[in-house]
Amino acid sequence: MNDIVTIKGLKYGLQLTFAKGASFDDVQANLLNKLESGDSFFIRGTTVFVPKGYFAEDQNEALRRMFHRHGMLFSTELKRPNLAPPSCDTVKTPAQKSKAKVEDAQKMMVINRTIRGGQEVKANCSVLICGNVNPGAQIIAGGSIDIRGTCRGFVHAGAFGDKTACVVADRLMPAQIRIADLIARAPDEDVKASQAERAMIRNNMIIFEPVAR
Amino acid sequence: MSQILVITSGKGGVGKTTTTANIGVGLAMRGHKVALIDTDTGLRNLDLLLGLENRILYDLVDVTSGRVAYKKALVRHKKFENLYLLPTSQVKDKSAVNPEQLVTLCAEMKKEFDFIIIDCPAGIEQGFKTAIAAADTAIVVTMPEISAVRDADKIIGELGRADKENVKLIVNRIRPQMVEKGDMLDMGDIDEILSVACIGQVPDDENVVVATNRGEPVITMNGSTAGQAYKNIVARICGENVPFLKPQKEGFFARLKKLFGLL
Ligand SMILES: Nc1ncnc2c1ncn2[C@@H]1O[C@H](COP(=O)(O)OP(=O)(O)OP(=O)(O)O)[C@@H](O)[C@H]1O
Ligand SMILES: [Mg+2]
Repeated sequence: MNDIVTIKGLKYGLQLTFAKGASFDDVQANLLNKLESGDSFFIRGTTVFVPKGYFAEDQNEALRRMFHRHGMLFSTELKRPNLAPPSCDTVKTPAQKSKAKVEDAQKMMVINRTIRGGQEVKANCSVLICGNVNPGAQIIAGGSIDIRGTCRGFVHAGAFGDKTACVVADRLMPAQIRIADLIARAPDEDVKASQAERAMIRNNMIIFEPVAR
Repeated sequence: MSQILVITSGKGGVGKTTTTANIGVGLAMRGHKVALIDTDTGLRNLDLLLGLENRILYDLVDVTSGRVAYKKALVRHKKFENLYLLPTSQVKDKSAVNPEQLVTLCAEMKKEFDFIIIDCPAGIEQGFKTAIAAADTAIVVTMPEISAVRDADKIIGELGRADKENVKLIVNRIRPQMVEKGDMLDMGDIDEILSVACIGQVPDDENVVVATNRGEPVITMNGSTAGQAYKNIVARICGENVPFLKPQKEGFFARLKKLFGLL
């Protein structure tokens, strides 16, 4: 049942592929089920790609409408969508409710508050947080993450595989940091984070370097 | 203008009920008319701290279910005549009262009282949601230890989610010698994580236990350090600008990180 649709994370969204012989109705039912069960893949604002010509035009139209209803974009062209997606402001985690502001040009979600333990921010775009990320909080972004404050939570930049994404914080001391598919854990010994740092991928490893702010 | 306060914490056993009783008595001693509502259904003990256990006739569930008028269920304090308790039920479960019922009740009680103080159950389940529903100010009680501070952080997040933006902090059971030695979080450390206005720093004081057993909150005991801290909290709630008992040291990043097991 679950194999009817396979979801692959790409730099700009999600690619769907389908089991051989699966009918359009099966695919649609399967996707609707995933959407309604709040599958964590389907973050609002994400673009979903279906191979061009796989379905008939009216079938694609039906899928497009279905994804739109769930706040997602639909495309058959495998490229970065150039229409400014409603991505940033449609991501309404309760954590950032009304306060998120969009800077469409840079596709950046701005959050002017501290993210506390147990709260979660998910965004397709990059995220700027003017506040702290506390222990037990999670930030997951398709792009980069910039924290104007202290980061002690869990951060994942480039969540769709973008290895050029980075994480910057005034004091970068997360419990765990992920960029694309790489993971770095906080070392157990004490290291001071006395100045702003950037974490990024170099030679397939997450490295930290000081930055001037 | 009357105020509705909720005393909450996330983690259990950090001193919510003790705080509720002391603030209630303190405000009553200043001449305010105060009602305390115990919403910790099934785990009643606010009445014990106030020495009122044997006077309870009806409880909160009797009131919200419409069996009796709230005035009939109120228990007046024997010594502080401005202080009333609306006790909780010992037997019913935590879903016996819903948020709307408490909001309606508080709106009615507001006409009679200067302060309504709600003692909240531990946790973030239904009981918590009910307790905070009517409040315009939330007082979060925590202790200087990692797990209590983290739970307080979560609670502050939950309060924000419920649009309760007026949040104050009380740090209870501080042991100055331990703070001095770096074995306990100090105010700087706590403030770094929680960053909400602190209205009280209460030391760990065995008089609190003595007072509990006597059914007379520690605020009535002259010469106790915790009692003095509670008096200061009451003054701050009344809008006075009282300096803190002892200025605490600045936070040390290194220690904090060690305690959190971070970078
Ligand atoms: N400042 C203090 N010094 C010493 N003991 C204290 C202090 N504050 C509270 N205590 C003790 O800690 C225990 C727990 O306090 P209390 O019942 O007020 O906590 P609570 O947060 O209401 O607990 P619960 O979550 O179970 O409702 C009690 O035995 C109380 O006497
Ligand atoms: Mg209690």
